[in-house]
Amino acid sequence: MELGEGLLRWFVLWFVNFYDEQLGFIDYIIQSWEQIVDYTANHFLLVFIVMFFSLIFWISIGLLISRYDSLATGAFSVGNLLFCIPSISLFGIFITIPMLGLGRTSAALALILYAMMPMVRNVYRGIKSVDWGIIDAARGMGMTARQILFRVQIPIALPVIFAGIRITTVMITGMAAVATFIGERNLGRLIHHGIARESSDMIIAGAILVSFIALLLDYLLGKIERRIASPGLRYDHQDEIT
Amino acid sequence: MDFETDRFISTLVDRAPPHALEHLQLVLIPLVIAFVVAFPVAILLTRRRFIRSTERVMAVFNAGQTIPPLAVIAIFFPFLGLGREPALLALTIYALLPIARNTLVGLKGVPREVIEAARGMGMTDWEILIRVELPLSVPVIMAGVRISAILIAATAALASLVGGGGMGTIIFAGIDFFRVELVLAGTLFIVFIAILLDRVLTVVENILTTVHLKSR
Amino acid sequence: MIVLDEVTKIFPGAREPAVDRVSFQVTEGNICVFVGPSGCGKTTILRMINRLEEPTDGDIYIKGERVKDKHVNADELRREIGYVIQQVGLLPHQTVEQNVALVPRLLKWPADKIRSRVAELLQMVGLDPQEISHKYPYQLSGGMMQRVGVARALAADPPIMLMDEPFGAVDPIVRERLQDEFLRLQKELKKTICFVTHDINEAIKMGDHIVILAAGKLIQHGTPREILTAPANDFVKDLIGENKEIKLLELTRAAELVKPQAELPPALSSNGCCVQSIDPVQRALEIMLKENSDTVGVRDGDELIGAISWAAIKEYINAINANI
Repeated sequence: MELGEGLLRWFVLWFVNFYDEQLGFIDYIIQSWEQIVDYTANHFLLVFIVMFFSLIFWISIGLLISRYDSLATGAFSVGNLLFCIPSISLFGIFITIPMLGLGRTSAALALILYAMMPMVRNVYRGIKSVDWGIIDAARGMGMTARQILFRVQIPIALPVIFAGIRITTVMITGMAAVATFIGERNLGRLIHHGIARESSDMIIAGAILVSFIALLLDYLLGKIERRIASPGLRYDHQDEIT
Repeated sequence: MDFETDRFISTLVDRAPPHALEHLQLVLIPLVIAFVVAFPVAILLTRRRFIRSTERVMAVFNAGQTIPPLAVIAIFFPFLGLGREPALLALTIYALLPIARNTLVGLKGVPREVIEAARGMGMTDWEILIRVELPLSVPVIMAGVRISAILIAATAALASLVGGGGMGTIIFAGIDFFRVELVLAGTLFIVFIAILLDRVLTVVENILTTVHLKSR
Repeated sequence: MIVLDEVTKIFPGAREPAVDRVSFQVTEGNICVFVGPSGCGKTTILRMINRLEEPTDGDIYIKGERVKDKHVNADELRREIGYVIQQVGLLPHQTVEQNVALVPRLLKWPADKIRSRVAELLQMVGLDPQEISHKYPYQLSGGMMQRVGVARALAADPPIMLMDEPFGAVDPIVRERLQDEFLRLQKELKKTICFVTHDINEAIKMGDHIVILAAGKLIQHGTPREILTAPANDFVKDLIGENKEIKLLELTRAAELVKPQAELPPALSSNGCCVQSIDPVQRALEIMLKENSDTVGVRDGDELIGAISWAAIKEYINAINANI
């Protein structure tokens, strides 16, 4: 009896302490709800803007280099080089360019540049993966080059292309958090200020929220990815080599 | 944009190098640990006994890359305190996926006929792994390691946020003081480290490939 | 119907021409087989007919018009020519029905016309439309895919069909069945067909006319009979191989070797089974072996018109061999 009571007391104390210390971030989230919603909206807005332009630019570039192989090596060299540069560096360089300055434009531009590599690569790979026999048969039957692109190559490449969109979106979401250091007011700011003010609640809140959003986007886009391909295409999502 | 070349050079030559060493450690330690974890696990996933767990385990590795590294560093910071530990842990987690996935794909890519032929010659499963499957997968696996190395090299810049040192110190200083020379100098070092690692790993790959050809 | 005039193709960077001044004609309603070893240019010639490749020199005419001038775009030309390749090349993201309907859709046929045509075609190639229309290519066997490929090529009822080793990717039993069914189909449809193969036996079986190529040059062309009885050189002889006698007997009709009853020496027994006068002599030979007889009767319908003797067959073959 005494032992049981003692254990229970200990457990309650530990739980309260745990809640206080570790789960304090929940309190923080509830307290600062409006600000968090504001930050989240900004975060999504930035990701959306970046993805909007990235889809238009990079899918076009991807289609272009899949047609003209000579451009492909150049494009991939640029992309590979970009990946060696930390996101914060690119942000930092862009804000010193007079026309851009602090804030959204620099962030968006830098992120669009980063989006190039995964997008272009996946579009290229997807289009290239279409069997030559299929393309030859399509040509032989009288499809124009345009018809082949839109009715054959793109539909078959769609799973890979969409996987690229998913990967890019998740990557951009994470990098967007770093943009807080050049003035973006998004969820990264919770981490930023949390570190400055030594508030672990803020830090944990920021980290969990950003992670949650990244995982959510990955999950949702993954669901769409599975549906988007024609049932005739059996695509194994595991077979992606970076 | 006024670019003070002197400041740039002095950063490059004086201020940055000690951090460069820190940065190198921030890259190499997680890379090695990530390899030690991801490589064997991925191999196990290709063995018959564990093949059903593949999707679940890969989902875990996947999460490690989906969750933004900034967030991971931030989450570990309150628990591990100031210093490079949060960064090392976060970077290790970040590096797991490319290594695991490429090992998996590389091993799966070994043609069945080759394995069957080896089995037919009386090689044990272990021998087949060591003498056939792994040697044939070296290029793909090393590609994964190289990708991880480059990813970590860039991401390690975030370590300075929690007192982990590294090139991020210079870069963030450049941002805080609005001096592009610092940002550029820091970035140059990181790019240099990334390219260096890429070259070294390519050499390693070549050595591994020659070695297995010789051992025939 | 199709005329090739000094057609030459040199690929950029190649030292030798892939196709070297080849000239021949394809008669309407015939199956013309291009045969030869790998790299002889047969596929290249085929692909020049529908302008998937353009000749470096020389001209190709379809029904008197130059292929180059017939249409502004090569695509329009190709919609009038059926094209079947070895890998078939079915679009994996579309159903069988959508695949077969490809050219009609390009030509903007009305939907119900397309639907009925697809069903008709699938039946023509021996498939059940109900079962197979909604399936995807990955669910089909090799033989089924080839049939769908043929159906697809026939969809817009083109007068000309180009076929590049269409039955190459299946096992020999399926291949034989496909060949037989295709020949049967051709009897009905009477298309002008250019057929590429590396297998001389397939060429002899399928071809009304054979064109033999090697290293880009035309070596010999003629009916299977002509090729077998009068090979132009050692290359052709080697190509034909050892058992040309049997192949020849498959091509010769019983009517050619039949002798009316009265002429035969009475000593030979004549009560074996019979073959029809249009049957190949090879069948008579088989009956001789099975029944252990030296003579086989020949009928025209129900009427007995004569007999083929073992001696007559030997005489025939010997005469041909003496001439080669």
